[in-house]
Amino acid sequence: MPTLKVNHERCTECRMCYIVCRELDINAVYVALEPLHRIEIDATACTYPGCTACLMYCPAEGSIIEAESGRSMVPPPLETWRRRGAHVPV
Amino acid sequence: MHALLEEFLDKWVWPTAPGAPGAEFRWRLTKERCLKGWEISLRRTVGEIETELARGDEASKKVRALRGYAAEGVHMSIKQMSAQLLSVDLPDQARYIDLQRMRARQIWDECKHSKLHADVLIGKGWVKHERELMDQVQANTQPLPAYFGLSMMFPHIHPLARAAQNYYQEAIACLGIMAHLSLADDPLVRHEHLSQRDEELMHFMEGKFQIDMYCVTPETQKPVEEALDYLMHQVGGIG
Repeated sequence: MPTLKVNHERCTECRMCYIVCRELDINAVYVALEPLHRIEIDATACTYPGCTACLMYCPAEGSIIEAESGRSMVPPPLETWRRRGAHVPV
Repeated sequence: MHALLEEFLDKWVWPTAPGAPGAEFRWRLTKERCLKGWEISLRRTVGEIETELARGDEASKKVRALRGYAAEGVHMSIKQMSAQLLSVDLPDQARYIDLQRMRARQIWDECKHSKLHADVLIGKGWVKHERELMDQVQANTQPLPAYFGLSMMFPHIHPLARAAQNYYQEAIACLGIMAHLSLADDPLVRHEHLSQRDEELMHFMEGKFQIDMYCVTPETQKPVEEALDYLMHQVGGIG
């Protein structure tokens, strides 16, 4: 299964992903002690691609990527929200 | 629809967490009301920028920087957002603790934005030091009533009312930034906007998140609709 990771070249540490993940009680996003108290994603707790919620509220283009391919997931590609039953609003 | 608005919608507005309980409500607000306001605001901003560029008008950059300084920093955002932190009733604080954290973060962001406007004024030689702005009326006033300001301490406006301002008004800020970045080539003006881009988008995302996750009952949707009414009609003049 593919996993997500934070691209620190682009992340602004706004912590929206942290808030979203905790709101859903998944708690995969955490602040790492080392090296710089930055946001990280615990791939063992993250349920991606089952859950894609953090991608929908991240404001920094390219700051969450698929670890294996390096593909940018922000803004969220269509298949991360349309394929799972979300209505298409327009 | 303006191409910049279409891009904004496709990248940041429509993508929605599957199963988000307030998403239907947000989409309805967006389609029935926000789109009209966003389109009008964007076209107004683009028109202003094009007029200023055609005139080669440096004075308008000064006016914009002074207006931005007043609108984003010390005299509006800190006071407004501090009031918003303090106006959440104790019984609501556990539910809306993340909303309060986001607001605290926004106070810091807006102070930085204010400083960026000061940087333009200093860089252009219009003031020597930010302290001079304390004596300039234009840098300390804005014409809008303080619906979300200190006055909200008294009625204790619902914590989610601010979600409408984050969602609707910050989208207008994001669209304005996109317009400037697509048209302006002055390095200081571009810096003034580019440096705010991700943060303003984060403020928009706060509103999107709050509506998607918290606005799931008539009781939590009503304050958002009322605040949107105010923003569109009283502030934006949009019927």
